[in-house]
Amino acid sequence: MPFLNVIRWVAWKDLISEVRSRETISSMFFFALIVILVFSFSFSMDQAAARELIAGIIWVAFAFTGIIGLGKSFSAELQNDCLEHLQISPASKGAIYLGKLAANLLFMLIVEVILFPMFVIFFNLDVVEELPLLLLIFALATLGLSTVGTLFSAMTVQIRAREVMLPILLLPLAVPVMIAAVEATRGALHGDPLSLYGNWLQLLAVFDIVFTVLSFWAFEWILDS
Amino acid sequence: MIAIRGWDLGKSYGHYRVFEGLSFEVAAGECYALFGPNGAGKTTLLRILATLYRPSAGRFEIVGRDGIAEKEAARAALLFLAHGSYLYDELNATENLRFALALRSVTPAHREIKSALDRVSIGAFGDLKVRYYSAGMKKRLSIAKAMLIRPQVLLLDEPYTSLDESGMSLMNHYITDSLKEGAAVLMTTHDRVRSAEVAHRLGVLDKGQLRQFTVDELNSHAIP
Repeated sequence: MPFLNVIRWVAWKDLISEVRSRETISSMFFFALIVILVFSFSFSMDQAAARELIAGIIWVAFAFTGIIGLGKSFSAELQNDCLEHLQISPASKGAIYLGKLAANLLFMLIVEVILFPMFVIFFNLDVVEELPLLLLIFALATLGLSTVGTLFSAMTVQIRAREVMLPILLLPLAVPVMIAAVEATRGALHGDPLSLYGNWLQLLAVFDIVFTVLSFWAFEWILDS
Repeated sequence: MIAIRGWDLGKSYGHYRVFEGLSFEVAAGECYALFGPNGAGKTTLLRILATLYRPSAGRFEIVGRDGIAEKEAARAALLFLAHGSYLYDELNATENLRFALALRSVTPAHREIKSALDRVSIGAFGDLKVRYYSAGMKKRLSIAKAMLIRPQVLLLDEPYTSLDESGMSLMNHYITDSLKEGAAVLMTTHDRVRSAEVAHRLGVLDKGQLRQFTVDELNSHAIP
C-alpha cells in the first residue's frame, strides 16, 4: 500500500531525525518543566486552590509545549529545501500530512507521559483509579491540537514571523479542544461520574474527526501554495 | 516522442516580466542545455517545469501530461535536481535514498542502493549522516538518487556546481546513460565545455527571450 508506506516513512523520518538531534523534545521538555515548577511554587501554600486549577495548569503546559514542537515540525523541512522535495514528490500529500501528524502526535504524547508524573508529584495528586480515563483524555485532546497544529505549521512555515503566527492562528481554533480537555480532566481528577463530563469527551472526538478530515484535504492546497 | 513541451510560457512578478512567449520542446533521449546571464530566468523556467511555480502565461506538458491540470502525473515522470540538495542532515545517505524513493513508491534492494552509492564514489560514506557531507558529496548523492529513480524527464539546475573534475565527468556519464535509456534532459548551466559533451541542442535565455542554437553553432562561437 503506497499510501500507508508514505505515512510510515514520513513519520519514521521525523522520529529518527528527532532521536538523533533531540532538538524538539528537549526544548519542549524544558519549557514544560519550567511551567510546572513555577506553578508548583505559586500554589505550594494553597493545596485546595491547586486542586481546583490543576486541570488548567496541565493543559497550559501541554498546549504551549506542543506549540514549540509543532513550530519545529515544518521549519525542519526548510533545511536543504526539503519542503520543496515534499511538494514536488508524486506521493499523496494527504499521506505526507498524516505522517507529519503521526510524528507530532507522538512527540507531544511522549512529553506528556514524561511530564504528567511530575504534576502528580509536585501537586500531590491521587490519580491511580482515573489514570486510564486521563490517558484517553490526553490522547484525544493532543490529537486535536496536533491535527490543526500540523496544518498551521505547514501554513506558516514560509512566513518570516512564523514563531509568532503559529500560536496566533492555532490558539483561537484550539479553544474548543482546550476547554473540553480542561473540563474533562477536571472531572476525571475530581472522581466525578463519567456522565457529568462525557459530553466533553464526545466534543474532543468530533473535533478530532472533523479537523483531521479537513486538514487532510486542505494540506495539498497549502503545500502547493 | 516529445517529453517536455512549452507553449508561450511567461512569468512575471508583479510588473516585473522575467520572460514571455517561450515555446520549446525537448524529445525523449535529447539533452537541451539552457544558457543565459544571471537573472535571465533560467532557474525560474526550470521551477515552472518542475511544477514548483505556476506560469503567468502559456502552458506546458511533461510526457504529454499538462503541467498544471495533471500536475501529479507530471511530477511522477520528472526529477528535479535543484540548488537545494533535498537531503535530510540527520539521516545518512542510505536512509535519505530510501526516504526519497519511498515517496515515489520505489523500494530498492540494499545492494542496489550500495551499488548506486559506489557508482558515485561515496559508497564508503553510506552510513555517515549527510550533515557531515560536503556540497560535492551531496551532489553525488543526488546523482545516486536519480540513478535509482530513473525518471523520464530530468531537470538539472546548474548540475556541475560544487562538483570536482571527476564529479563533473560522473554527471556527464549519468546524463549520457539516461539519454540512452530514453530520458529527456533539460539543464541550465554556465559551463559550455562540459555541457557541450552531452547537449544535442541549446538555448540562450536573455532579456526575456529564448534563442535556440545547435551544438555546432556553439562550437563556432556564434553564440553571444
